[in-house]
Amino acid sequence: MIVNQFLVLGALLFSIGVYGVLVRRNAVLVLLSIELMLAAVNINLVAFGAFVDDAAAAGQVFALFVITVAAAEVGIGLAIVVLIFRNRSSANVDELDLMKW
Amino acid sequence: MFDYHALAPELIVGGTLMAALLADLVLPEERKYLVGVVGIVGLVAALFPLLTLGFCEDLGFCSGATERVMFGGSYVVDDFALVMKGLFLVTGVISILMSVGYIESERYYQGEFYWLIVASVTGAVVMASSRDLITVFIGLELVSGPAFLLAGWRKGDVRSNEAALKFFLIGVLSAAILLFGMSLVYGLTGEITFEGIRAASATLADEPAFVMGVIFVLVGFGFKISAVPFHFWAPDTYQGAPTPVAAYLSVGSKAAGFVGLLTVCYLAFSEVASIWGPALWLLAALSMTIGNLTALKQTNIVRLLGFSSVAHAGFVLVPFAMAASYDAEGLQSAFFASITYLLVYAFMNLGAFAVVIAVAAKTGSAELDDWAGLSRYAPVPAVLLAVFFFSLAGIPPLAGWFAKLVMFRAVLGGTGAWGAALAVIAAVNAVIALAYYARVVKTAFMDPVPATVPLADAGAPIAPALVLALGVTAAVVVVAGFYPPILSFFGDAARALAFGG
Amino acid sequence: MTQYFQDYITVAVFAAFGVLLVLIAVGASALLRPKNPTPAKSASYECGMDPVGGGWSQTQVRFYIYGLLFLIFDVEAVFIFPWAVRLEQLGGFALVEMAIFIAILLGGLAYAVRKGVLRWES
Repeated sequence: MIVNQFLVLGALLFSIGVYGVLVRRNAVLVLLSIELMLAAVNINLVAFGAFVDDAAAAGQVFALFVITVAAAEVGIGLAIVVLIFRNRSSANVDELDLMKW
Repeated sequence: MFDYHALAPELIVGGTLMAALLADLVLPEERKYLVGVVGIVGLVAALFPLLTLGFCEDLGFCSGATERVMFGGSYVVDDFALVMKGLFLVTGVISILMSVGYIESERYYQGEFYWLIVASVTGAVVMASSRDLITVFIGLELVSGPAFLLAGWRKGDVRSNEAALKFFLIGVLSAAILLFGMSLVYGLTGEITFEGIRAASATLADEPAFVMGVIFVLVGFGFKISAVPFHFWAPDTYQGAPTPVAAYLSVGSKAAGFVGLLTVCYLAFSEVASIWGPALWLLAALSMTIGNLTALKQTNIVRLLGFSSVAHAGFVLVPFAMAASYDAEGLQSAFFASITYLLVYAFMNLGAFAVVIAVAAKTGSAELDDWAGLSRYAPVPAVLLAVFFFSLAGIPPLAGWFAKLVMFRAVLGGTGAWGAALAVIAAVNAVIALAYYARVVKTAFMDPVPATVPLADAGAPIAPALVLALGVTAAVVVVAGFYPPILSFFGDAARALAFGG
Repeated sequence: MTQYFQDYITVAVFAAFGVLLVLIAVGASALLRPKNPTPAKSASYECGMDPVGGGWSQTQVRFYIYGLLFLIFDVEAVFIFPWAVRLEQLGGFALVEMAIFIAILLGGLAYAVRKGVLRWES
């Protein structure tokens, strides 16, 4: 079993996610980029889980938990984004500058 | 089968969650404060099994070690876990007490507010016992998830929205980074429990992917404890969120992050201290310096407390930044110092926020200029303000000095120039911190009352629940300052973790 | 290693056949059919109804809450699959555990119902 190609895929996805978080202005797209990072984590976990072959299948179990927690967080995040959109009719993160140093 | 006695605190808090949810469904709008009462009763009830577990042997319930290992080493109830659970439960109770008057005046979604605080405390209680990567992650997310919603509680207020979105994006981003680190650590060691990771990691200190995993985990926790350079969300979130929520975030959620960091570093990564030691040294020095220097310029009290909490995170990190170079005894003393500092910080910071709520209800603002001459028309809050702020500054005989003392003792106990350098940085920062804490107190006591203060409101009594919160925190800060063994007892109980495992 | 990549040859052959099949079917029909376009024919097919409005339209914001609820309850099912596969080995206690888990989820649903989230008023 070779694990490298999965890790490269995971690292690439993670990097694309980080790029998206840093560059995108729309909050929904930032959220999507973070989801991409979590998907990268899942790929890593499942690949390692098959690779290290432990009896408890900890990698797969971990991935399940990551999926559910990510879903819950998307729920919270979209609720906050809708709230912001209602109050300011824009969801751009770089316009959130009411509070500064 | 399961050890239900050891799990009792979690079961009680979980049951409280369901009870509070149902109570919120059946109660009419004007009686929603009862949900808060349910929450407080549940959290206080969960303290009792902590006591019976802690003094298990003395009470005759059990014999031998008090440490209880469950679920294949994933969940451990030892003295450290008990002390931290106690801290989280008390923090939750005080946060609810502080919110009662504040949230009632806002007039919406009271029930859910208390429910979310209890939910977040549940996560923190789980954190204290978790000894594997999955449980730590679940606990951490259970702490932050409700906190995101709490930060955005004032739905119509754009500042509150902004606070929630910043907190949420940073929180989820840090979770993703933390998880990526965890996945690497799991893949290279093949283990998910801290015990297994420690055993497997001795030979991995030079493996680049493992080093990256450890650093990613540190960065993830760095966001949670708002250490510089991962701190920029904290002051914005504290200022925009409702003030009781800011108090909870700066104590409960931050302490949960510290518990995760402490257990991960000491238990899972203790064989590779050469990786995280220098990283934490840098975090500690930067957090103290930048937190304090930025706090000097603040005009809003909540924001000032936000930066001061960043600086205090640095002080907590100081002892175990040097842990890499310590022997077993030095390691214990570093651990003891971090826990004691965290305990003292929790009470004085909660108290400081409680005063801010009480005074802001009178002056209608949290800007420092509006607080001038506070002692003329509100002498008691002004005195409490001085007590908590001087305690945060570390002036004897208030509890803060003892925290600073053990911190310096731990960092000077080691050898080498790095420890001495960090001690010097910490000392300089203690002086800088005194400057801005003293400025607030001076404004409240010496300056003339500005014309803008609505003196009509100033005579209004403080909400009874808030008075209780103020009383408890003030009592702890004063008593522990005069008689430190009260707190060092808890720190001592917790210190066994560092080498007991 | 080579064995590993040889396994992919099977996949490649299958993929090539798949693409070829589609090309033949679509190409043959393009050659054989009479060509006589009218506006009614080129409109997109919506179950026999005439299409109304453009493809980009705003959805009712209420769908969003349904979407959220669906997302949460749907994803929680992820815990049920491994449990169901292993139920016979895990025994009765696991059954009780899953009952508690579902009861807590139902608490959430009861909350949503009581708060009127599922009522559709326009």
